[in-house]
Amino acid sequence: MRTVELLERRRQGWYELDSMCDKYRNFSSLKRPIAAEVTRFAALYRAACTDLAMAENLKLPPTTIDYLHRLVGRAHSHLYRSHRLPTSLWWTYIFETMPKAVFNDPCVKITGIIFFGLFSLAAMLSWAEGTFPKFGETILGKDQIRQLEGSFEKPLSGNIDQYASMAAFYIQHNTSIGLECFALGPLLIPSLFKLAYNAIVLGASFGYMARPDVAAGDTFFEFVTAHGVFELTAISLSAAAGLRLGIGWIVTDGLSRVDAFRVSAKKALPIILVAVALFILAAFTEGFISPSPLPYALKALFVIASASLLMFYFVILGYPKDGESNQQEGLT
Amino acid sequence: MTSFVKSVLAACAWLVAHARPIQLGSIRNSVPIDFMSLRNAIDLTATITTPENIQFEYRIAGPFRRIPAFLVDLIVRIATFLGVFFLVACSGIVQLFPFLSQFATIGVVVLLTYFMIDWFYGVFFETYWNGRTIGKWISKIQVISVDGRPISSYQATIRNFLRLADLAPMMSLEALLANDAPPLFVVPTGLVATVCMSITSRFQRLGDLAAGTMVVVDERAWVPPKVKLEDPRVSSLADLIPANFMMSRPMVRAVALYAERRMRMPVARRMELSAILAAPLMAQLGIRSDTSPDLFLCALYYREFVARPISIVESDAIDVGIPISQKTPVKYATESNLDPQPTTSSASPAIETSPQLPSGETP
Repeated sequence: MRTVELLERRRQGWYELDSMCDKYRNFSSLKRPIAAEVTRFAALYRAACTDLAMAENLKLPPTTIDYLHRLVGRAHSHLYRSHRLPTSLWWTYIFETMPKAVFNDPCVKITGIIFFGLFSLAAMLSWAEGTFPKFGETILGKDQIRQLEGSFEKPLSGNIDQYASMAAFYIQHNTSIGLECFALGPLLIPSLFKLAYNAIVLGASFGYMARPDVAAGDTFFEFVTAHGVFELTAISLSAAAGLRLGIGWIVTDGLSRVDAFRVSAKKALPIILVAVALFILAAFTEGFISPSPLPYALKALFVIASASLLMFYFVILGYPKDGESNQQEGLT
Repeated sequence: MTSFVKSVLAACAWLVAHARPIQLGSIRNSVPIDFMSLRNAIDLTATITTPENIQFEYRIAGPFRRIPAFLVDLIVRIATFLGVFFLVACSGIVQLFPFLSQFATIGVVVLLTYFMIDWFYGVFFETYWNGRTIGKWISKIQVISVDGRPISSYQATIRNFLRLADLAPMMSLEALLANDAPPLFVVPTGLVATVCMSITSRFQRLGDLAAGTMVVVDERAWVPPKVKLEDPRVSSLADLIPANFMMSRPMVRAVALYAERRMRMPVARRMELSAILAAPLMAQLGIRSDTSPDLFLCALYYREFVARPISIVESDAIDVGIPISQKTPVKYATESNLDPQPTTSSASPAIETSPQLPSGETP
């Protein structure tokens, strides 16, 4: 047996495997291949693997070994394909992993303090017109204040058209802001800036509207009551997920920086998913409940219910059970 | 160490190694260089070892495959968005929601489509299409985990969500258009991804680092053609080469590459190219200098791959089953009677040069 003879024998199988890979690259790979093809593919893959493993013994030319490396790599990633969404794990993920990730992550507390701290501070500064006469106007700008007042001058009312399109707009707009806050997390500063910017602008608007001389104030607070809990929590959580990502570069826990970053991404994903869900809930509330002429008591009831729901989700479901440490084991 | 520094070092090491007069058979008095790792550093391949203990290499996709893929995806996304818009606007889908006005329906559908395409296009495709989007399919690349496993939905989500950080910092629209354009920071520069890819060993952007993925080339590799040694003098010339002459691994590689590609070159080019290696080698081995260098390299190839018997154990007879098209079993197997003795490490002389001195030489 000589090398060249061996090459002649094997070559055909390699080419066939390559052609099958070409075929599975295409859209046809989305439907299931027939059993005979799968068996054939696996057999050819095994044969190519053996040839590659035996390359030294078989004295294959180096260029052929290179070719085999590529071929086996290709075939490997066609044989082991990506899985679909693991739907069977959703229940555990939504009702155990996600609340625990939120409850146990110190980043949630940090961004919570930053967001609600800046929010309250800006609200107070903006409200206290006598002490800080220019604050609200400087932060918001004259045009924005006029626009804000203009949109809440009339009492709340609307039709289904407005509700639906506003809900869709809020889903797109607000969730995108949250996801951007998360996505910029690895760079740390832009994410925190986005969070602080939103906190200060929202706070200033709230403070301005709470001034006794602003006529549109009552309508404004009636409007924001229902969805406020969901929305403010969501923006804070998405920044928490971003911060968790960015912290991974810095707090490595003995891992290499890249590994620590990867681990922190795994911890951050459940938090951002909670935030996305909250944004969507907030969007529906903001679209359908907030602008509706429902009595204020119903809206207040809704906000109490939503706050209790969040409490239940984060605290009751998220609280570490016996035997679990407070740290984030099991999540990584 | 970073891949860039590694490649530069590797290139320097290669230059140093090749700046000497040609390296002959056994490398003597020189630092042994790990050519495999050098090649990996230069070629940017990722070596994977599977649980079945099979080791193979992936070719990492560089930015010049990934940027076109990104642009194609961008176009596909815009086209899908416009397609949905016109479909909703022109067809009867608006009638499905009788409680909404036509305008509101279009608004809702368009906003939600935009949101879904903006954030979930890559997640969806990479999860359901084995790490590929349409752009990646066209540039023949694919996302896999760094450990060689397929990409999971979790990894697809992370790496696509983080694309925004990779595109940062955003440039103002003013810089791109005219001075009177609104100062919107919407033009991505992709600097973060560029820097990140150039300092990681697998061309990973931030999203890839966070998800533990890499982008590899999924393309039919260059197939070494059948080598035709038509000249009858090749075998007799091969006999003239001293029996104890062993080629180093890089030399085997060079000879094999030459033999596989020489048929595509004109004769003069063959002579010119082969003389670089053949001339000093023939002088050392005491072969007449008027021998054709092309013929000499063919003789080396013949000696290495055609004349030398290889030992194959019986279990190597691989049954690859029945081809789907033809119903006759094909065995790409060896007849066991050709070489019945089992492989042992001493039975086959090693190709690679050992760092030790040859036994005949005394220091």
